[in-house]
Amino acid sequence: MTRGIGWRRAPAALAVVALLVAACGTGASPSPATQAPPDGTTGPGESMAPSDDFSGEEVTFVGSWGGSEQDSFLAMVKPWEDRTGAKVKYTGSRGLGAYLTTAVASGTLPDLAGLPGPGEMAQFSEAGALKPLESVLDMEDYRANTVGALVDLGSVNGQVTGVWMKLSVKGFIWYNTANYSGDRPANWDGVMAVDPSPADSLFCVALESGADSGWPGTDWVEDILIRQAGPDVYDSWVAGQTKWTDPAIKQAFETFGDVLDVSFGGTAYVNSTNFGAGGNELFTDPPGCLFHHQASFMSDFFKSQGGAQDGDFDFFVMPEINSQYAGALTGGGDLVGLFSDKPAAQDLLRYLVSAEAQQIWADRGGFVSANTQVTTYPTAVEQKSADAIHDATVFRFDGGDLMPGTMKAAFFSAMVQFAENQGNLDQILADLDAVQAEAYAAQ
Amino acid sequence: MTVVTKPLETTRATAVEKGGRGWSRIVLHAVVIGLMLLWLVPTLGLFVNSFRPAADVARSGWWNALFPPWDFTLDNYSRVIAANNLGDSFINSLLITIPATVIPVMVAAFAAYAFAWMNFPFRNAIFVAIVGLLVIPLQSTLIPVLRLLAGAGIAGEFLAVWLAHTGYGLPFAVYLLRNYMGGLPREVFESAAIDGASPTTAFFRLALPMSVPVLASLTIFQFLFVWNDLLVSLIYIGPTNPDNLPMTVRVASLVSSLGGETHFLTAAAFLTMILPLVVFLFLQRYFVRGITGGAVKG
Repeated sequence: MTRGIGWRRAPAALAVVALLVAACGTGASPSPATQAPPDGTTGPGESMAPSDDFSGEEVTFVGSWGGSEQDSFLAMVKPWEDRTGAKVKYTGSRGLGAYLTTAVASGTLPDLAGLPGPGEMAQFSEAGALKPLESVLDMEDYRANTVGALVDLGSVNGQVTGVWMKLSVKGFIWYNTANYSGDRPANWDGVMAVDPSPADSLFCVALESGADSGWPGTDWVEDILIRQAGPDVYDSWVAGQTKWTDPAIKQAFETFGDVLDVSFGGTAYVNSTNFGAGGNELFTDPPGCLFHHQASFMSDFFKSQGGAQDGDFDFFVMPEINSQYAGALTGGGDLVGLFSDKPAAQDLLRYLVSAEAQQIWADRGGFVSANTQVTTYPTAVEQKSADAIHDATVFRFDGGDLMPGTMKAAFFSAMVQFAENQGNLDQILADLDAVQAEAYAAQ
Repeated sequence: MTVVTKPLETTRATAVEKGGRGWSRIVLHAVVIGLMLLWLVPTLGLFVNSFRPAADVARSGWWNALFPPWDFTLDNYSRVIAANNLGDSFINSLLITIPATVIPVMVAAFAAYAFAWMNFPFRNAIFVAIVGLLVIPLQSTLIPVLRLLAGAGIAGEFLAVWLAHTGYGLPFAVYLLRNYMGGLPREVFESAAIDGASPTTAFFRLALPMSVPVLASLTIFQFLFVWNDLLVSLIYIGPTNPDNLPMTVRVASLVSSLGGETHFLTAAAFLTMILPLVVFLFLQRYFVRGITGGAVKG
C-alpha cells in the first residue's frame, strides 16, 4: 500500500521539478541529446529557406579559449550569426581533453570543438565521433590557401578531419629592442657567442607550469633536435622508434645544457619561475638576460606580466645548427573538428576556415592564421610570426604533444630533473627509455 | 592549545587573584587573534590583489600595495561582472545549488531514520554498501552516468545536475545522519510507539527536530560542495547547453588557454565567495543554537 502511494507521488514531484525548470526559462532550450533529430529545433518552413538561413538554430562549440581569446572568437563568429540567424553557444574549458574524452565515450557531443591535439583527433576520429571534412569543405580551395604541412597534420588516414585556428610558432628567440640590435646570427654557435651585455646572462629559462612543469624545456629540446639531427630523426623519435639514449637525442639535451649554463638565476630560478614570467627579466633595469626562447604567444605575456609595450620586443627565429636542415620549424596550434551532421554546424566550420573570418581574429591580435590569404596583422611581431610559418621548408608539430600521455608527462618532468642536475643525464634518458617501452606498447 | 589552557586551569584552581585571570584571558585572546590573522593572510592577499592593476600583480607582492603610492582600481571587478553573463550564471548557480542541497539532505534524513530505527531485512548489509560507496571516486562515474542522463534526454538540464549531486552527496549524508540519529535516546521512540505514533510521525515529530544541528552542518557541507563544484556541472550540463552553466565554469573561462589573464580570478573569487559566506554565517548561528538548545533539554 505505502508503495502505491509513493509511486503516485513520484510523478507529482517530477512535475514540480519540470515546472521549476520551465519557470526559470531554461527548459525551453532544446535537449542536447544526440538522438534528437535536428529538425526538432527549427521552425516550419525550413525546407523553403535558402541554404545559409539557419534562423533559430543553435550551434554548440567548446574550445580551450578563455578571456580575451573567447572575446575574439565571439567577435569572429558574429558576422556569421548575423548572416544566418543562428546562434553560436560557446563554452571555454581548459580541461578540454578530459571533457572531450568523456563526451565521446558517452555520446553527448557538442557540434564543433577545439581538439587538444593530433593524437586525440585521431582517437576521436577512429571512435567515429569526428566527421571527415572532405565533403564539408571546398578541398581545392582549402589546400590552396593553407600551409601544406598543416593540411597533413589535420588529417587522419589521409582524410582532412581537423582545421587550424590559432597557430603558435615555436623556436623564437625574443629580445628587448633596447638591449639587442636584432642581428640574426647565421647559426646556433653564433647565438651562443653573443656578448650578453648589458644583461647579466645570455638566456632566461623558466620551466614552472603547475602540473605541466618542464614543457618549455621540451620545446627547447625539440627545437634543437630538428635543427641538429633533422626531421627524420625527429619523426622516428616522436613515433617511439628512436630511443632516448640515442646519441642524437643525448646531444640535443647537452646543447640545451649549454644554454642552462649561461642562463639567468641558476637552477632555483629556472625551476621555480613560471613560464609566463619567464621573459620579465628582459625588461628589468639592468636586464637579467638578453634572450628568451619561447613560442609566438609569448608576446601576450611580455605585455601582461613584463610590463612591456608593442615595439619594446622583437624576435628572430632560432637559426640553424646543422646547415643541412636549415629552415626547419616546430609549432603547434588549436585544431577544430566537427562532431555533427547539422547543416548549420557544417556551414559554421566552412566560415571559420575562411580568410574573412580568420582576418577578424588576426586584426584583434594574438592570432597567427594557417590561412595564407590572411595577409595583414596588427603588429610587426605577428606579421613576422605568420611569415615564419609560411616560409618554413620543414614544419613539425610539437613533439611532446604527439607522444602518448605518459611519455609526454615523463618528458616534462625529465626536463625539470635535467635542469636540477645535468650530471644525471644518462640516468634520466635511461628512465625515459623505460617509459617509452611501455607507453607506446599500451597505445 | 594545551599551552593556552593549562595556565587557565591553574588560575581557575587557585582562583584567588582577579588580575591573574584577566592576564591569562589577554594571552588567550592574543593567541586566538594571532592565529586568525595568520589564517586570513592568503585571503587578505587575494582581496588586495583583486583591486590592483594586472601589471602590478605580476611584478610585486600584494603587500606592496599597502604602502603609498596607492594604485587601486575597480577594473578587474567591472571586467568580471561584464564578461560571460556572470549575472545569469549566478542565478544558474543558485538554481543548481539549492535543489542539489535540499534533495540529498531530505533523502538522507529519511534513509538515516530507517537505518537507525526501523527493522527490515539486510539493514546492516545495505548500510555498509552505502557507506562503501564513499570510496568510489566521483570521476570514475562520469562516463556511465552521462550516458544514462543522455539516454533519459536530460543531459544539459538542471535536473541532471540535481540528480548527480544527490547521488554523489548521499553516501556521506546518510552515514553522518545515521550515526547522529542512532545516538538519539531509544526511550523517546519507544514511548512514542507506545502512544501510537507511526514511524512517519516519529520521524517528523521527533527524529527530525532533534537532528537540527547535524542537518544544519550537513547543509553547509553540501551547499559549499555544490556551489564550488566545476567538474560535475561542466560534464553533465556541459557545452551542449551552455546557458545553464554555473558561475564556476564561467569564472574558469576567464583565463586564457595558456593561463594568461589570471588577474581577473582574484576579483571573480571574491564575487563567488559572497553567497557561501552569507550562508555559512547564517547557518552557523543556527547551528550553535541547535547544540545549546539540545544541551539544556538533555
